[in-house]
Amino acid sequence: MINDHIDDKGTIRGSHSSHFMREIRVAWAIAAKDMLTYYTKPAALMFGILFPFTLFLSFSIGRNIPLAQQIPMLIAQTLFFASSSIGPVVIPMERANQTFDRFLTAPVSLLSVLMGKTLAGIIYGVGISIIPVLVGVTFFNSQIANIGALIACFALSSLAFSALGIMFASIPGQTPGQVMMPLNFVRIPLLFISGVFTPVGDLSTWMQAVSLLSPLTHTVELARYGLGVGGFYGPVINIVVLGGYTVVFVFMSIRFHVLSQRKE
Amino acid sequence: MDNAIEAKGLTKYYGKLLAVDHINFEAKKGEIFGFLGPNGAGKTTTIRMLTGISKPTEGTATIMGYDIQRQPIEAKEQMGIVPDVSNIYNELSAWDNLVFTGRLYDMPKSFRENRAEELLKMFGLYERRKEKVQLFSRGMKRRICIGMALMNRSDILFLDEPTSGLDVQSVLIIREMIRTLNQQGLTIFITTHNLEEASQMCDRVAIINRGKIAAIDTPERLKRTVQGLQSVEVAFAATPVNALKDFKELPNTREVVKEGDKFRLFTDDPSSVLASVWKYSQNNNLKLITVNTLGPSLEDVFVNLTGIRPTTEESKRGAQSK
Repeated sequence: MINDHIDDKGTIRGSHSSHFMREIRVAWAIAAKDMLTYYTKPAALMFGILFPFTLFLSFSIGRNIPLAQQIPMLIAQTLFFASSSIGPVVIPMERANQTFDRFLTAPVSLLSVLMGKTLAGIIYGVGISIIPVLVGVTFFNSQIANIGALIACFALSSLAFSALGIMFASIPGQTPGQVMMPLNFVRIPLLFISGVFTPVGDLSTWMQAVSLLSPLTHTVELARYGLGVGGFYGPVINIVVLGGYTVVFVFMSIRFHVLSQRKE
Repeated sequence: MDNAIEAKGLTKYYGKLLAVDHINFEAKKGEIFGFLGPNGAGKTTTIRMLTGISKPTEGTATIMGYDIQRQPIEAKEQMGIVPDVSNIYNELSAWDNLVFTGRLYDMPKSFRENRAEELLKMFGLYERRKEKVQLFSRGMKRRICIGMALMNRSDILFLDEPTSGLDVQSVLIIREMIRTLNQQGLTIFITTHNLEEASQMCDRVAIINRGKIAAIDTPERLKRTVQGLQSVEVAFAATPVNALKDFKELPNTREVVKEGDKFRLFTDDPSSVLASVWKYSQNNNLKLITVNTLGPSLEDVFVNLTGIRPTTEESKRGAQSK
């Protein structure tokens, strides 16, 4: 910022590094606006909070699973659903109101816009998913056994799933439902192959091979390691696979929006 | 560089549909440039290409010398955009809408807050700055939308149908605002259906039809291209039932159009038509309340070039009843 100056229009000017900082500032402004505007929209509350908690209760009540095992399940589900729901709620609504055009006519790159949207998903996912951790630690004697694994779980999963939501939001729809429906065709099957309701170690060999390919498997596993419940593949494999998916989802979300923009 | 906007061979295909067909025009710095055309002519597609929302299939557009495709950031810094729909955040307050726009343009806090205050005061909305804009009237939302477009002290303001669907008071406020901004040096690019508005406000107009520019010139020069098109406008205290049919039978009358409670008789010989109308009113015991002889309007130019008359629905119905 040392070489920066403000021009007569009030815009900060400066070097390439400040151009990067400008993109970061704008991305943060977009994320902050999305938080203020869309976090309490019914679609965000339903698909981001109600949906994972209801699924969790449906599959945990009546089953003889120790609570220590249930907390990682809930963390993984809330991270998965909450992070991936913000893009599909925000972007179609902004298309319908034509407020998305504001970003396209502002002097910012599409990358910054998508960064802002992704950040809004990350904060939503982390904000909701930290509640089961706090409840587990405070009321049910859960222990944070591996803080590194838990941080990796939150950081990588929220970014990967938020980018997944942004990627689906490139589908040209003007209501959240138009994006949520195809997204749920992916999200719900993933729940059943990812060791969420049944630990990966208890799955058949071929199901274990399938579960290795699911990003959600590695979120559950990292949450388990974080809370000292133990996993199947090991945290290194979890981080590598989840990191790989994060890169792929971020890249594809940008690519899909660029392609969608070309059709405008 | 005298031109604020330059379009060269600008073309847009949607699949096989040719929406804009190799259009060329320039808007000079400091002028109000009107872009007129019927629905589906390509006005909004053009504005979307000029503002970087949509990529042209062919051709280039420059904004204050910056290519919108190759230098989008620089080009976008020069412009403010008011789309046909007031795209504001209904969940935010008037203040937050303006301040957020300032953040999109990376204006420092003190600059954006001072500018937001200045604009809200200018638009008479400062007292209501903390209210969510969803409670505002359509005209107030339009003013907020224009305010957002002015946050970055742009050199060019794009307005897509700025007064469409607004009440008379809001229309007058917005027109006056546009004139004031133009007097302060802002280049205005305006698309409108309202030909009277374009005639009153624009320094130059382009008429686009089926994706092609049909004419570009000052409103008065365009009117001169159809100078032969003179008309007599008449209104009666009570509108006669068969007037449309009767007037078409008057000598030297080429076309008759009913415009509200008035009739417009197109002719090459206004004095003879005036005499015939006077005689008609006497014979039918009708009281004439308005008689005007009119030169060609921008609407006549528009009709001449596009073959579409915006006010022909009533005359069509009149012709059908015949």
